[in-house]
Amino acid sequence: MRKLRWATIAAAGMLVIAVILWSAAPISAAGPGARIAVILAIVSGVACLVQLVVATATLAESSGFDSPLERLARGLVTSIRALPWPELLIIAVLALEALHRSRPWHTAVLGVALLGLLLSVHLAETGAAVGVLRRQVPVIAAGIGLTALAVGASALPGLPSGPASSVVRVIAALAAVVACALAVPTWLSRDR
Amino acid sequence: MTWSLSAHARRLLTLALAGLVIAVIAGRPAFAGIAAPAVLLLAAWRVDRPGSVAVRTSLTEPRLAENLESTVRAELRGHGDFSAELVIDPADAITAGQSVILPAGARGGPVYLPFTPTRWGRRPVGMLAVTLRDRFRLTEGRVLAHLPTIDCRPHPAQMDRSVVLSRLPSRLGEHTARAVGEGAEFAGVREFVPGDRQRRINWPATTRHGALHLSTFSAERTQNLVVIADATTDVGEPGASTLDLVLRGASGAIRRYLAGRDRVGLIIYASSLSWIGPGQGQRHFQRLIDLLVSSPGGWERTAQLARLPRAALPPGALVLVFSPLLDPRLVESLRDLRERGFSVLVIDVLNAEPAHEGGRLSALTSRVWRMEQQAIRFSLTQIGVPVVHWDGVSSLDEPLAPYARRVMVVHR
Repeated sequence: MRKLRWATIAAAGMLVIAVILWSAAPISAAGPGARIAVILAIVSGVACLVQLVVATATLAESSGFDSPLERLARGLVTSIRALPWPELLIIAVLALEALHRSRPWHTAVLGVALLGLLLSVHLAETGAAVGVLRRQVPVIAAGIGLTALAVGASALPGLPSGPASSVVRVIAALAAVVACALAVPTWLSRDR
Repeated sequence: MTWSLSAHARRLLTLALAGLVIAVIAGRPAFAGIAAPAVLLLAAWRVDRPGSVAVRTSLTEPRLAENLESTVRAELRGHGDFSAELVIDPADAITAGQSVILPAGARGGPVYLPFTPTRWGRRPVGMLAVTLRDRFRLTEGRVLAHLPTIDCRPHPAQMDRSVVLSRLPSRLGEHTARAVGEGAEFAGVREFVPGDRQRRINWPATTRHGALHLSTFSAERTQNLVVIADATTDVGEPGASTLDLVLRGASGAIRRYLAGRDRVGLIIYASSLSWIGPGQGQRHFQRLIDLLVSSPGGWERTAQLARLPRAALPPGALVLVFSPLLDPRLVESLRDLRERGFSVLVIDVLNAEPAHEGGRLSALTSRVWRMEQQAIRFSLTQIGVPVVHWDGVSSLDEPLAPYARRVMVVHR
């Protein structure tokens, strides 16, 4: 079980590195504020991994006469455990992606990688096997299909460019997402 | 039972909201696509949850020794289609083992959760935390159940040989006494007198002397032992403090002497005296260990402890004292015991000294403290109370070897 947990933490680590690199590249093409977003993403990514590693560690009881170094380490571990680092990482990475010019297929790959990261973080923190996600596979597949549809819709060349057409596209994508979100679970649970 | 959104659901919600907000603000539909899988997963949210679950817990072994693993037996009913994770939230001085995951719809047998108490004492194991998760792992239900209390005995120190006095009370036992009696140990040969048993006639000696001679045997007697456990102070590293060593040493000595059919009593020397008079047998052993574990210990300046109770100290008993010798009142009590004619042997368990900062005055204070400790031990030795040092790691036989090798001569 311990080996499995370390494997999922390693997978989460690789996905953290991948999403940060993918959303940041190329950094020169990003708008202002990209450097701050990169720093925030790196900090929250590292903290997210540390949080997974120290999740099961037990802190030694304080003797009441701890050295400043011990107090610092204790405070650091406590704050790392307390803050929602994966959520901060998601926001930082999406902001970084939004600071680049529109590149739909690139954004879609980032979305899939973020979903994989969230699933691996969940597996690592609960110590569950990959098998627990088996029943979610159809929904995840449908979601990725929707992502592909949304990306395809946004890449259609026929529509005239301008703010109005962008709004129409967004509303269409949102409507498709919401409709499928309502329909797919109902369809999946029809045999129960 | 408390239900809440799982951390996984919160993250999916963050991804969905962040994607949709950026899609609307930046006018980029691809971000709405990012939100799609998260929205789909969140839409699978289940409303029907088990209203209540039944958890039954018990200990497989309520009495155990420190650093020995035991298990909590837990039975969970009513979790339905939710998977359940059971884990021990340990109390102080308890190390919990791995959690157990029950798959959705699992029924039947109990599960066993391992734990290890790391220190002696009567203490709670902690709480049993049960977390229920739905199949999409979006909802979490949490139940906390109190676990029973354990009686954790101190790990007995190893002691294979016992210290035996030269004068033993006239009670049948297993130690060879100096007096002649009905034992199995050959003592000598003497001339036959009318009334002696004929089967004891020593024929080689009879033919050599030309008169009837018979073999004599040593008497076999029991010994009275009183163990004094000094619980007034607890200094040193947790897990190897003076109190830990006192209790481990005392329980090792109690076990050894009771196994040798001796009569063993116990005095706990703390803020108040607790004692049990000498006795034998397995039940007596349990009573002594219960007293060792349940004694609160501590120190009180006003307590009158100088004279130990007469009823707890049968005449001619061997007194084994496990102490760091930091309480001057105990030292006075030992002097008093010696004056009352008891054979006293002190096992010194002090393995720590006050920390000093490295300054000159601090070093001087430490030196004075060490000299004072040496003086206490020297003064006890001078009045006929041997003091041996035990480090708590080795067997008790090592410090006691000079006294266990031959009988300890009683000086009155």
